[in-house]
Amino acid sequence: MLKGDGFFLADDGTMTAQSDNLAAIFTPRSVAVIGASSSPEKLGFQILKNIRDAGFKGPIYPVNPKATSILDLRCFPSIADVDGAPELAVIIVPAGAVPATLAACGAKGVKGAIVISGGFSESGAEGESLQRQALEVARANKIRMVGPNCQGVNNPYHGLCASWPLLTMQGAMAVVSQSGTVAAALMDWAAQEGIGVSALVSMGNRADVDEADLLEYFDGDAQTRAIALYIEGVKDGPRFLAAARRARKPIVVLKPGRTEKGRQAAESHTKSLAGRDEVYQGAFRQFGICRAETLHELYDFSKALAYLRRPSGRKVLFVTSSGGCGVLAADVAAGEGLDVAPLPEAVATHLRSFLPRHFVVNNPLDLTGDATAKLYKDVIAVAKDAFDIVTVIFGDPIVGASEVIDRHRPELVVFLGGAEVEREEGRRLHARGVPVFPTPERGMRALAQLVRFGRPEEKARP
Amino acid sequence: MTLQTGLGQQKGRYLLEPEALAMVKAAGLPVIEHRTARSAEEAISAAGQLGYPVALKVVSREIVHKSDADGVQLDLRDAAAVGAAYRRVMDGAARYHADARVDGVLVCRMARPGVEVILGLTRDPQFGPALMFGLGGIFVEVYRDVAFRLVPISEHDAMEMIREIKGFPLLLAARGRPARDLATVVRCLLTLSRLGQSRPEIDALDLNPVILYEEGCVVVDAKVFLTGAEGPS
Repeated sequence: MLKGDGFFLADDGTMTAQSDNLAAIFTPRSVAVIGASSSPEKLGFQILKNIRDAGFKGPIYPVNPKATSILDLRCFPSIADVDGAPELAVIIVPAGAVPATLAACGAKGVKGAIVISGGFSESGAEGESLQRQALEVARANKIRMVGPNCQGVNNPYHGLCASWPLLTMQGAMAVVSQSGTVAAALMDWAAQEGIGVSALVSMGNRADVDEADLLEYFDGDAQTRAIALYIEGVKDGPRFLAAARRARKPIVVLKPGRTEKGRQAAESHTKSLAGRDEVYQGAFRQFGICRAETLHELYDFSKALAYLRRPSGRKVLFVTSSGGCGVLAADVAAGEGLDVAPLPEAVATHLRSFLPRHFVVNNPLDLTGDATAKLYKDVIAVAKDAFDIVTVIFGDPIVGASEVIDRHRPELVVFLGGAEVEREEGRRLHARGVPVFPTPERGMRALAQLVRFGRPEEKARP
Repeated sequence: MTLQTGLGQQKGRYLLEPEALAMVKAAGLPVIEHRTARSAEEAISAAGQLGYPVALKVVSREIVHKSDADGVQLDLRDAAAVGAAYRRVMDGAARYHADARVDGVLVCRMARPGVEVILGLTRDPQFGPALMFGLGGIFVEVYRDVAFRLVPISEHDAMEMIREIKGFPLLLAARGRPARDLATVVRCLLTLSRLGQSRPEIDALDLNPVILYEEGCVVVDAKVFLTGAEGPS
C-alpha cells in the first residue's frame, strides 16, 4: 500500500522532539498518585492498587492530606512533601484543583502527568477554561500530559497499570483510544486470549498528548508491531497525517460518524468538529491507514497485523474440517478481493494419491470429519507452495491442532466448534504468537487487511 | 444552498456561472462552449455563433438552483425556440424571486451524450481542501457513490479514486458500451488538485455534470463558492 505519494506536508521536525519525552508517561522510574484514596470504591484507590498490583518496580507515592498510609504505602500530604522525585504523576483530584496540582508537580520536577479527573472541556465553558489553564501550567513546567477526563495509561512491559481494570498481559499491539472503555475492552480481550497488548492509552480530552504524538511514540516502541486507534475525530489533521505517513507500523482506525446522527454524537462527546466521514475515508485510503468498521474489527485487524506478516500475494488456499465454514470463508475472501484459486492439477493429483477416495479435492479442501492434525499437516505440506497463504480452519475438536501451524509460514487460523480442545489448542497457538480467529468471516476480513496493510515478510537472515 | 461537495448551507460568495466556468477553464479544464446574452436577440445571435442545438441558463446570484425557477432550457433547435426559451427563463426568474437581479442568460452548446460524472473540491475543517469524484445524477444524489482524497493528490491517488466508486464498471467497456477516457479524468482531478492548492479561497466547487466520452470530457455546469463575503439569501 502506497502512503499517498502526492501529499506533501511541511516537515516541521517538532514531533520527534515532542514524543521523546513521553518516556516519563510510559516508563517512569517513580510515580505519584495525587488524590490517592483509602476508599476501595474510589478511583484514587483502584488506580493506586492497580499500579502496585501490576508490579511497578519503582517507588510509588500516594498523595492525600487526610491519610498517612494507603495500601501499606506511606502517604504524603502534598506532592511537595514527597521524599523523592516522582517522574510521573497520576492526578485524580477535582477539576478545579488540577492546575495548581500541575504547578506543584512542576516545582517537584515531575515530567509526565496523567489527569484522570473529569470536569473539563467535556462539561461546558468553565471546564474549558480550566483545561486551558491546566495545559498552560503543564507547558510552562515542561510536563507532558495525558487527559484530562481519561482512563489512564497501562504499560504491561513496565508494570505500570495507571488505569483500570487491572490487566497485565504483555503483547504486540498498542491500543490508543478516545474512549476508556474501548481501550479497556480491547486489552481485556487480548488478555483473555493470552496475546496481550504493548500498551494502552486512554486519551480523554487530549489537551496535550494526542493521537499524533502516540502514533509517533508507538512507531518507535520496540514492543509494538501494530497500532489500534479509536478516535471520533482527529485533533490536528495535518499533524495526524504527517505522523501516519511517517509510521512504518500498520495503523488500524475505528472512527464512528458515518451517519449524521453518529457525527453529531461524536461532536457532542468530544466537543470538536468531527468533520465529514467521506473525507476521513479518503484520507485514510490516501495515507495507508486501515479502517475498521466495528470494535471486533479493530481488535481482529490489529491482532492480525501485529502477529502476522503480509503474504506475498492474494492467492489463498482453504484447508478445513468443516465444509460449511470453508464455504463461508471462501465467500468472504472472494468478496474481499482475495483469490480463491483452484488447486493446480499436479497438487490435486498428489493429494488424491494419499487422501481417502470420497474426498473432493478442491479449494476449499474439505478434510471432513476424518480430519486429524496429521492429515492437516500432510495436506498443507503438499499444497502450500502453490498459494500465497493458507487459511487453516479447525471446525472440530482437532487434538494437536496447534502443532499443525508453523509460525513462520503464511497461515491464518480459524478455530470454532472445538469446545475444550479448541480452547486448549487456541491457548497454545496464542502462546506461540499465532493469532486465532473465532469465525471464518472475521478471519477473512482480517486476512484481507493483512494483504493490504501488513508488514512485509522479513528478509531471511543469512 | 447545498452542493454535492458542501456540508450544507454555504456561507461564502457564490460565483455566477460564467465566472465559475471561466475559473475552471483558466485552470485548464475543458469547458462547454458558451456565450452570455442580455436579450432574446443576443441569445439568438449567440446560438447562431455556437451552432444548434443550444441550452439557455439563467444567470443570477439569487437563483442557484436554476431548474426550480425554470432557469434551464435544454435542446433548443432554432432561433424561435431560443427566443421563446429566453422569455420563459425571464418569467420564471420573476416568479421565483420578484427582486432577483438577473444578469442575462448563459447560452451553451448542447454537449453530446456521454457518461455523466461529477468532480468537486471542498474545504474540510480538519484536513483542508479535498477532491471529490463520482458518477453524476442518482449515483451521487441517491447512492452518494463518491470518493474523496486530500489535496494535493498524485496520479496514483486519482486512479484509486476512480476505481473506488461502486459505479466504476460503468466507465469500462461492456455490452457494446465503449470504455470511457479515464486518463482524462485523472488529468482533470490533478488540475483540480492544483486549483485547490493555488486558490485557498475556494470553499466548495461542483462540476456537475462533467460529460465523459471515449475520448475527452467536457464540463457542462460549474458552481463555485468562495469563502468570505455574504452569499445569496
